[in-house]
Parts: sequence; structure tokens; C-alpha cells
Amino acid sequence: MRSQRHGGEEIEEHGIDLAPMLDFVLNLLIFFIIITSFVRETGTEVVRAEARTVEHVEKGNILIAIRPSGEIWMDRRQVELREIRPMIERFHVERPEDSVVVVADKASKTGIVGKVMDEVRLGGIKDVGLAAAEPGG
Amino acid sequence: MRLRRHFKFEEATGIDLAPMLDFVLNLLIFFIITAVFAKELSFAMNRPGAQSATSGKESGNIVINIQEDGEVWVDKRIVDVRAVRANVERLSALKPDWGVLIVAHENAETGVLIGVADQVREGGVSNITFGTTQ
Repeated sequence: MRSQRHGGEEIEEHGIDLAPMLDFVLNLLIFFIIITSFVRETGTEVVRAEARTVEHVEKGNILIAIRPSGEIWMDRRQVELREIRPMIERFHVERPEDSVVVVADKASKTGIVGKVMDEVRLGGIKDVGLAAAEPGG
Repeated sequence: MRLRRHFKFEEATGIDLAPMLDFVLNLLIFFIITAVFAKELSFAMNRPGAQSATSGKESGNIVINIQEDGEVWVDKRIVDVRAVRANVERLSALKPDWGVLIVAHENAETGVLIGVADQVREGGVSNITFGTTQ
């Protein structure tokens, strides 16, 4: 009896209060859940051209991939050129501060890249960039 | 002593947060791993006729042509992609307020376009307009 009480009290005294840590961890959790849902990925993989002067875009959330064959991928599915404009219009209404990055394969044709960029502009987002990779990265 | 006993009683009825914390930490680790942190690397590029391109249009443009087969023409001469920078530096020294207009054939590869745009930016001009021809 005595030993039990002694042991119990010792744990009480030295145990860490987990509640503030739990609050903090939950905040982190919410932060990461929100972050993951912000980026609209393309759903495909492309080979990027390398360039030395590329810049990080802070709000490049909407990604549009163009494959060498001319397929356009956006929001995890393949889309037609004419579908881009309504999709961009919808995204622009949902979050007006978003910008678009066109991720074109280095073997894709410039004609389709130009058309995609025009469609994005017509959809209301003027901030369009062309993605590249850092050399060796 | 009595107070302390009372305190202990409250501890016993409180919910043990440790298993919940374990679970939440696992969730946290999962979301950290799946979060896409790689910010996109990109160039800003204008299109002909866009509002942002008008500043360049007012004063004129250094025109760079990209042919269907990847040949790059600057100032009526074929140049290597790596020589674009020197040409842009020379031409922009003559016309400091000019932008660069890259006119690419619509079947030219995007890799060449990005290579040229990179060289132009290294040459010190960041106002790049990108147009296509048939």
C-alpha cells in the first residue's frame, strides 16, 4: 500500500502536462492539412527544361502540365484545351490570389504552350509562369 | 495533505491524453510527408496583346526567332542558344528600355524556348514576351 502510493505520487509530480503540447500539435496538424489541399497538382510527370535564372513563385498553386504528345493535365486529370478556361474561371473565383504555372515538357510544342497560356489569361488569371528546373536539381 | 488528495482524485477522472497525442502525432507526420513543399520554379512570361506586355510594345522589342527545327535567329543571324545572352546584352546596351519578343514556331520544342528565355534573363532583360507563329 505504501509503495503503491509512493509510486503513484512520484509519477504525478514528475509527469509532463501533455495538454499544451497537444494544442500545439493539433495546430500544426491543421496547418498541414490546409497546405496539402491548396496545391492543385497536375497528376502527371513531365521532364522540365533546365534554366539558371528561374525564380520561386510564392503563389503558384494551379499547375498545368503539357506532355510531349500535347496532352494537357490539370487538377489530376487530362483535360481538353477548351476545358481550361472554365476551370480557371472557377479556381479564380474560389481563390483570386492564386497564380498559374504551366509545366511544359521540354519536348512539347510551343504552339500548345502558347494556347494554354492564352486560355488561362482569358479565364481571368493574368499571372502565368512557365516552369523550369534548376540545373542539376 | 487533504488538498493534495483531492487533486489526485481529479487526475483520475481526467482523460488520458497520451494515446490521443500518439494518434495526432502520427496524423501530423503523415501530412508533413505528403505536403508538397517544393515551390514551383518558373519564369514570368507575357503574351502578345496582354496588358502587361504593352510597356514593351511602346518602345519596341528585340526580336528572337525560334525555327521549327530549333534554330535560333537574333538580329538576322543564326546564333547558338548559348550565344543568345551576348547578343541580348549587346542589343539591350543600345536600347536599354526595350523588351525581348521571342517568336517561336508552333512546332518548336519548349526546351529551346526555355533555354532562350533563360539566356535573355541572364543578359539582363526580364520583360519577355512570347509569341508563336505557324
